[in-house]
Amino acid sequence: MAKKKFFVLVLLVLVLQVGLFVLFYYFFTNPPPGFMIIGPALEELKGSMWLVGVLGPQSLFIPIIAIIIAGGSMSEEYERGTADILLSKPVTKIEYMTGKFVGGLSLLGFVIALTTTLGVALAYGFFGPQESIQIAPAIYLVLLYANLLFFSMTFMFSEVLRRTTLSMLASIGILVASTFIGGILSTMYLISGEQLYVEISKWLPNWSASNLPSFVASELITALESPFISLPGGDIQLAAAIIAVYTIASILIATLKLVKSDVTKKTD
Amino acid sequence: MTEPVIMVSNLTKFYGDFKALDKVSFQVDKGRVYGYLGPNGAGKTTTIRTLLGLLKPSQGEVQIAGIAPTKNPVQALQTVGYAPELPTLQDFFTGAQLLDFMGKMFGLDSQARKESIKQLLDLVGLKEWGNKKIGKYSKGMVQRLSVASALINDPLVLIMDEPTIGMDPEATAHFRNLFANLSKEGKTVFISSHLLDEVQRICTHIGMINKGRMIFDGAITQVLEAFTQQWVIEAELEKATKTVISALRKLDYVEDVKVEGNKLRIELKEKKDLRGEISSEIFKRKGVLLSLNLRKITLEDAYLSALKGGQ
Repeated sequence: MAKKKFFVLVLLVLVLQVGLFVLFYYFFTNPPPGFMIIGPALEELKGSMWLVGVLGPQSLFIPIIAIIIAGGSMSEEYERGTADILLSKPVTKIEYMTGKFVGGLSLLGFVIALTTTLGVALAYGFFGPQESIQIAPAIYLVLLYANLLFFSMTFMFSEVLRRTTLSMLASIGILVASTFIGGILSTMYLISGEQLYVEISKWLPNWSASNLPSFVASELITALESPFISLPGGDIQLAAAIIAVYTIASILIATLKLVKSDVTKKTD
Repeated sequence: MTEPVIMVSNLTKFYGDFKALDKVSFQVDKGRVYGYLGPNGAGKTTTIRTLLGLLKPSQGEVQIAGIAPTKNPVQALQTVGYAPELPTLQDFFTGAQLLDFMGKMFGLDSQARKESIKQLLDLVGLKEWGNKKIGKYSKGMVQRLSVASALINDPLVLIMDEPTIGMDPEATAHFRNLFANLSKEGKTVFISSHLLDEVQRICTHIGMINKGRMIFDGAITQVLEAFTQQWVIEAELEKATKTVISALRKLDYVEDVKVEGNKLRIELKEKKDLRGEISSEIFKRKGVLLSLNLRKITLEDAYLSALKGGQ
């Protein structure tokens, strides 16, 4: 992995997170003319700002970080020729791939932990005591699970294409295309009222990956004795199942490719 | 009785429509230092990568210590050490950390790794560099570390692709001795190299490959004999007179005499050391001999001859 680029991107995400809070703080303290949040509504919003901090980066940045981590995990070993050295040791290809997958996922888990912690800390710092913070660990785990989709898909491209840049571009292409197609389908639903468009859009990879954390957050908040905010919910089981399908399919394709084909020679 | 440690039988490898190896067969017995020679693109690295289970044979089979690495890599590669040509090692490790990581891959315990790392860094002359990042190493140092990592599991078979490339002459000599000593310890050493002089010094047996086909497999002495077209005696006289030259040309066993100043190149019809007869003839014709040498064929001569003849 291009270590410098990765660290710069993580740093950028953290800076954007801080920027987001500064903006919200400014908005709350200096609301634009004609826009007033007062009384309980303002307090409700302030007490739930940690959710913004935790779920905010998931919309785009965390999937991109997942793509960057997974994009080089297999292909860089081929490009640098280190796959030859590692696979000429007494390890099976499955052990090797498992190690690469778990290693990459651990790094992603660390980055998500960092953004989650920072989100919570910033919310406390800018807006004071936060509500029902006890659900944060569960949200963290759901974020990790949701990001499995793009992580596994890129991991699969990394093994199948064996080129880091290509595999990242393929995944980013899918992320952008599915967002774009999802938008078109929503518009078509609004125009026609045909539910089928909505159902199709749910099977696009970004729907489940980007929505599952907020669906789960909504469910957990609703289950609390005194829910502090109301979030739009959704079909958690379907979103979780779609992530599982994409993840398992990607891992299977990557495994088949690795086991069935020769180890590619150094290309750098 | 000799015991084959590496066995390659009718190995054929296709990359798409391109036939990289064509029914290559050879075996390397235990304790031998085997040199694998061939021009660029001949199929040397393809053979090595197939031996290591990195490539699947299109036809034929390979075995290391009786086990096929493609079928059972864990067992087959447990006793193998491999040093690739101009390796890219994980430069975020220090030399000691890399050896430790490699040791873990072979399942060595902490104590065994600690002892081996110390010994190996010393053996390859990187004792002072063990705790420095590999990113700071020179090419030659990376090559040395690569050889050390190939030895971490105390292998029975050592497979090396151009092991001394990038090393200075002193290190090259050091490693030449190291390989000879490993062979004495009963280890089998398989070296792919284009440095023919080095191979001739280190190896007892060689294999030659060209365009994916094996053109020779056997002892070095055999290859020198097989590819010696003509024996030549080089003589230097105080004065190369016409009488001497003409007399030599008339001898039954002399094919031709080429003259360059006072130096004669006497090409013989037979593969025999006829220096005694030649010197007698020169003395008979009152010639004063300054030097007389039987020019022996080198591995390089044999190699070039083999490639030219496609034998």
